[in-house]
Amino acid sequence: MEFLSVLLLFLVIVAVVLWLYVARQGDAELEFLVDQRTDFKLEELTGDTAVLSCNIPFVNKGSQDGTIMDCYPRHLLPQEQFDAVEVVSRLELETRLRKDGYFEALIVPKTTGNAVILTLTFRATGGDIKQAMADMVDMAVDIVYQVVARSKWYITKQRMIVPADELARTLSAGRAEA
Amino acid sequence: MAELELIAVRTRILTPNDNIVDAIEEYTKGQVGPGDVVSVAESVVAITQGRLTRPEELDPCFLAKLLCRFVPQKGSLSSAYGMQATMNADGKWRVTFAMLMGLLAKLIGRNGLFYELAGEQAALIDDVTGTMPPFDKYIVYGPLDPSGVAEAIKKRLGCHGAAVADVNDLKRAAVLGVTAGLRPEELAQILIHNPFGNASERTPIVIIKNYAEVAAKASA
Repeated sequence: MEFLSVLLLFLVIVAVVLWLYVARQGDAELEFLVDQRTDFKLEELTGDTAVLSCNIPFVNKGSQDGTIMDCYPRHLLPQEQFDAVEVVSRLELETRLRKDGYFEALIVPKTTGNAVILTLTFRATGGDIKQAMADMVDMAVDIVYQVVARSKWYITKQRMIVPADELARTLSAGRAEA
Repeated sequence: MAELELIAVRTRILTPNDNIVDAIEEYTKGQVGPGDVVSVAESVVAITQGRLTRPEELDPCFLAKLLCRFVPQKGSLSSAYGMQATMNADGKWRVTFAMLMGLLAKLIGRNGLFYELAGEQAALIDDVTGTMPPFDKYIVYGPLDPSGVAEAIKKRLGCHGAAVADVNDLKRAAVLGVTAGLRPEELAQILIHNPFGNASERTPIVIIKNYAEVAAKASA
């Protein structure tokens, strides 16, 4: 009986030590700093299309390295709200540019970060992008990303708002430069 | 006088739909002589064998989630999924026992025991990001029967020999399988500077030209 008690006590101590070890070790904590994004800049402007982009930093605030397995933008512009433009959104890593929208899985060491470039392409359904964008509304864009680290993988997202007045300013400034 | 020459051969992305021997024959056509040794990257062999899985397809058990915590962060087994993949390949209890022994051995200053005891996949598995797109989102196991693959390559190409190698930019080279008569340690030294390049260079085949002639002269 005494032996069993000692054994039980030993197992409890081992379990507590392991729990403390895991708790102290922590995990990765990845976050896109959408409130620290750069202003949009005009990449291209034609009769029916405007292409704008901004940079969005992200960090691993956690105590372990983490992997972003996938990351993509999800713009939300329902036709019920505004149907004068069609939108295409794309993300690429600032330090590994590519035009295919594919996000190559990336290890983000703890306490470090990087940035993605969000590119939004607006095409006027009526053929005139200047006219269409004049009535543009604020648009939400979710940055959706899948993380795997020490724990189970998960998909999460962070929302940013693309203000219509910022788009208008960027377009008019771009037109003025052109 | 003939000298060793390493020729990296560029291919398209090889997938589980490819046969590695067919692919090597296709891409090395006219380049391989009877005195040459053909080497191929182990991860590409494994991919063509379909030896890969996505984390989403795995459900890590409690032990996988716990044991991965004892692997340094850069290791492929440091995620619960890499650890679970190893357990699936080498056995859950074997890996657990190896980890226990490995941790105890570390206490007395002996490193590497875990990898000696856990089974070959523990050292060969590449976690996500370990392979080029589109396989960067997969866990890739080590290849099955690498010596058999090497023999099949030699038979098809009529070359002096063949090898399946695991080489990286950190000057680590291991030859997992060779045809009869070749010495893995010697080939590993020849390939130590990673002539396969990084994944995006897409050169998973390296022809070691004039190997037989140079070897014969060295032993004469």
